[in-house]
Amino acid sequence: MTGHLRRAAGVLVRSVAIFVPVFLVASFVTFALRSLSGLSPANLQLGESATPEAVARIEHQWGLDRPFLTQYLDWFGDLLAGDLGQSWYNGAEISRLLAEGAVISLSVAGLALLIGVVFGFGFGVLAALRRTTWVDRAITGGMTVISVMPSFVVGIALVAVFAVGLGWFPSAGYAPTERGFGVWLAHITLPALALSFDTVSDVARQLRAGLVAAYRENYVTGAIVRGLSPRRVFFRHVLRNGIGPALAVLGLKFPNLLGGAVVTEAIFGMPGFGQFAAGSAQRGDVPAVQGVLVVSIVLVVVFNLVVNVVLARVAPASARGV
Amino acid sequence: MVRRVLGLTSGRIAIGILVTVGLLAAVGPLIAPHDPLAGTTDILASPSSRHPLGTDYLGRDVLSRLLDGSRVSVLGAVQVALIALVVGVVPGILSVYLGRAFEWATLRLADTLIALPFLVFAVAVTALLGNGIPQAMFVVGVMVSPLFYRVARAATLSVARSPYVEAAVVAGASVGWVVRRHVWVKVLPPIAVALANTTGVGFVVVASLTFLGIGVRPPAPTWGGVLAADLGYLSFRPWAPLAPTVLIMATVWACNLLADAIRDVTGEAGRALLDARRVRAGREA
Repeated sequence: MTGHLRRAAGVLVRSVAIFVPVFLVASFVTFALRSLSGLSPANLQLGESATPEAVARIEHQWGLDRPFLTQYLDWFGDLLAGDLGQSWYNGAEISRLLAEGAVISLSVAGLALLIGVVFGFGFGVLAALRRTTWVDRAITGGMTVISVMPSFVVGIALVAVFAVGLGWFPSAGYAPTERGFGVWLAHITLPALALSFDTVSDVARQLRAGLVAAYRENYVTGAIVRGLSPRRVFFRHVLRNGIGPALAVLGLKFPNLLGGAVVTEAIFGMPGFGQFAAGSAQRGDVPAVQGVLVVSIVLVVVFNLVVNVVLARVAPASARGV
Repeated sequence: MVRRVLGLTSGRIAIGILVTVGLLAAVGPLIAPHDPLAGTTDILASPSSRHPLGTDYLGRDVLSRLLDGSRVSVLGAVQVALIALVVGVVPGILSVYLGRAFEWATLRLADTLIALPFLVFAVAVTALLGNGIPQAMFVVGVMVSPLFYRVARAATLSVARSPYVEAAVVAGASVGWVVRRHVWVKVLPPIAVALANTTGVGFVVVASLTFLGIGVRPPAPTWGGVLAADLGYLSFRPWAPLAPTVLIMATVWACNLLADAIRDVTGEAGRALLDARRVRAGREA
């Protein structure tokens, strides 16, 4: 057990060593966007016809006339303390605005991930156990069709059928858990389904490929010859060695779930992270956009860390080269 | 390679669809039966001989809007793929030859870009750097470029370590000569696969952004925009999203199919190709 722990810790340290520079570079690029954009809070507050003096005064108020590096270090220091600054649009704390939106988006993304894992693993395992039969071909074909359906297409289809047509689910909006678990779940089910299709198909296809390859290994043949039960062969020998690619794909899917939120939230009218991003971007509210980017980077990095650790725990081979 | 891709049924279907879409982009605005911007009093009409795909909430002809919007989609998707190609391939090949510092830096950079949700970034950047599809596609292209970087790097690594290249180096070949003569040939097939894949991604991104109304000025017709306009009137015309949806999905599917076809005729594929030939030969015999 201590061996397991030590290995997990080793993977964690190595992953952090990779992701810290990633985060530094990404945050710098994010911050540099303001200078590149040439936008300033004066555009929002004064409009197009502002005098240069008024613009300069407002930029001074926001500390934008200081040297670039000073501004960056200041911003980065606040960032580490969890302070993302104030919105140019209404002066509100961005971290608070983002937290409100993130609860909604993470509910949807979490449910989508759950659907993706359950159905992805279900279909993948089923296809691998019934490989080369009609079940396998049907699943593989279905997954190919699903994989080319962008989330907004799926979202519109779901709204048309289940909300407008059958009236089983609300077609738009979000309800917090205080209004009841069932109400909350009803509101996030369709968006989560729309987001999950891509994950379901990729996980299923990778898992099927990994398991089918594992079944061809000599040690699996050996285990079958030794008379181990099919169940034991599957869980002890096949699954542990064939699951790696599927887990790795799951790690790569998380950015898609966040990115997809921008579109699905527009369809389902949910005031989440993605809507906040699109709205702030359209208003030219640079600090808010930077906050969105930084938070999504952090979420993605943390999720990848978790996946790497799980991967090292489940499939020993992946610990060799992160 | 093109001829061998066309030898596969899937390759013929994929190229057929993509050529059709390309033609739509080239001549679509010319063959559109109506003015895509002109509203009429005939709003939310069902398909008829006058309006084959019906009209939208302003009475604009949907078929004309789809035809006219194809150019934005095709140009955007191609732009994503080409920018990713240019940005990714050269550092990918050079990372093998330019020493450890360059290798480390580009690897970290690739890790960074791949970790970012590019749709969020594309939305953010269109707002910050100017509201236009070209700007957004430039950013998306840069962000998907790690795919090309990795593909090119992997192919280069495998070539650089093979005996015949080592022999060439021992014989006095320069790096430039080795790249032109040996590396390039091996890098091309996986690049072609990645190119088809990223074009598909590009179509989805353009459709997503235009669906959100980002990157184009409102009356301008786009595939995503037609879809967004249908969304508000689902209870009147629940079948309306079908046409733009089928168009988007068929195009993306064709890109993926093409990628698979190229993989089949180049990679391990030699095998798949042989099998296909054997099957055909058997059938004809």
